[in-house]
Amino acid sequence: MAKRVLIVEDEPNIVESLRFLLEREALDVAVQSDGNMAVESVRATLPDLVILDVMLPNRSGFDILRDLHEMPGTMPKVLVLTAKGQARDRFTAEEIGVDLFMTKPFSNKEIVSNILGLLA
Amino acid sequence: MRKSLSGTRIREQRRKAKLTQKALAEQSGISASYLNLIEHNRRAVAGKVLLAIARVLDVPASSLSDGVDSAKISDLHEAAAHHPVIGAEVVGIEELAGRFPGWAGMIAALYRQTRDQEAAITALSDRLTHDPFLAESLHGMLSNITAIRSTSNILENIEDIEPEKQARFHTIIHEESRRLTDSAQSLVKYFDKKADPKAGIATPQEELDSFLERHNYSFPQLDNLGEAPASNIEIAYLVNRIMAEDGGLDNPETNRLVTEFLQSYAQDALAIPHSDFSKTARRKNYNPAAVAQAFGTSLHTAFRRLAYQDPGQTAAPPMGLIISNAAGRALFRRPIADFAFPRHGNACPLWPLFQSFSTPELPVAALLELPGQHKFIGLAIAEAQSAAEFGRPSELNAAMLIIHYEQRALFSDWLPELGAAQPIGITCRICPRSDCAARTEPQILGEEAVVGSS
Repeated sequence: MAKRVLIVEDEPNIVESLRFLLEREALDVAVQSDGNMAVESVRATLPDLVILDVMLPNRSGFDILRDLHEMPGTMPKVLVLTAKGQARDRFTAEEIGVDLFMTKPFSNKEIVSNILGLLA
Repeated sequence: MRKSLSGTRIREQRRKAKLTQKALAEQSGISASYLNLIEHNRRAVAGKVLLAIARVLDVPASSLSDGVDSAKISDLHEAAAHHPVIGAEVVGIEELAGRFPGWAGMIAALYRQTRDQEAAITALSDRLTHDPFLAESLHGMLSNITAIRSTSNILENIEDIEPEKQARFHTIIHEESRRLTDSAQSLVKYFDKKADPKAGIATPQEELDSFLERHNYSFPQLDNLGEAPASNIEIAYLVNRIMAEDGGLDNPETNRLVTEFLQSYAQDALAIPHSDFSKTARRKNYNPAAVAQAFGTSLHTAFRRLAYQDPGQTAAPPMGLIISNAAGRALFRRPIADFAFPRHGNACPLWPLFQSFSTPELPVAALLELPGQHKFIGLAIAEAQSAAEFGRPSELNAAMLIIHYEQRALFSDWLPELGAAQPIGITCRICPRSDCAARTEPQILGEEAVVGSS
């Protein structure tokens, strides 16, 4: 059965390239662009991995990350992907609990390899 | 306490006039030994004696009194304290200012320039870190670059892409490149604007102060609002027009402060229309309590109407004003000569402004003396900003009206007995009162400045 990935990102063109790259790896991809709906989408799709942007409309990615940790059940792997690459953002993400922190712009090869590594 | 410099100035002027001490003393109606003490700054000089000496020397009395140099001397003290390794002779600052006013002025001006540039750098750095426009632009540009990089990488490295998908990726690259260009151009425009030397770089509070100074603290367009009913929409229109015509406002935070100020000014003008106010204020000898009573307003409203006037357009005496919230943040500042408001940091806790918080709604009048012997009348009151409600503390603001003590004759019919002058400062950092129990931080003037006081 294909592993499921949820992309929580509000930039449609970034989503499109990520979706293309991940579907080529036979992953099942879902997308949510609204911060307020992200936790609900995780509940509904039960992904193995969440790619989470930090600066989202309506809600910060950090708040979503906190909620995911409080959700009952298995916690999906989380890759935080952000243009906010400052040390304090990385620190915040790691303090809340994150599997990987990557900054934009990313290398296709690196992000795909990291995602496959997390899902292995 | 700082030494009086009047004697040094008198000596310099006497020498310029090629008069002996004896001749000046005789013509001024005082003894030569008394003049000698005055010239060596061992006796204070004021009133009739100062006027007589000024008349003989044919110079304005104000040019001999201490008022002219206090700001300059403060700046020289600060300059010396900022560069302690240079070892400037702090004990000689008053002498320098008195004997070589031009050189002292130049050092003070250069110091002020450096200090302002440092403040500008701090403000710029702060803006770069916290400016929402910059943060949003940079975030947007990084997103554009991410999409372009990822999509072009797909096109370059993956061969078996369907033609439709390929076309879609080309469109994405085109769209994102255009967005990136737009973002870069708006950033260039933004920095071009900020780099305009005429615009300068200041904090929003300083930009509000500059705006008020440009308009002489007076807005005739709003002054007569109370003459006829005016709606909120009309007020908003007038406020917007004043801001648009000013042409110097482009920081959203400054715009917010200016809008708040003008809205408050308009409300005051509605409560106390200008024509009635001018007549009433004159008739009541500028007594804020009588003005407030005549128009049924709070004392704060009367304070603001008295302070926010163009000195060139009215016969009213100049009045300074500071309004602060309970946390000590200055909300309104109307400067007055020789009474500097601190640009950065906290003001002197001994100002009646702060003391009035402990006795809300009780007006306080006090005679205040700054280092350098400048005297002012301070009228202060703390007022609740909203109606009292059970279970909710009132938000208090305090206001202090500041008047030159020399103007006291104008207010003799209503001003209470003020008693002895209360020694105050501007801010602890530049206050030489070494024995002040209210000091909250060390002074930066250095010990010598205190030793050198008399």
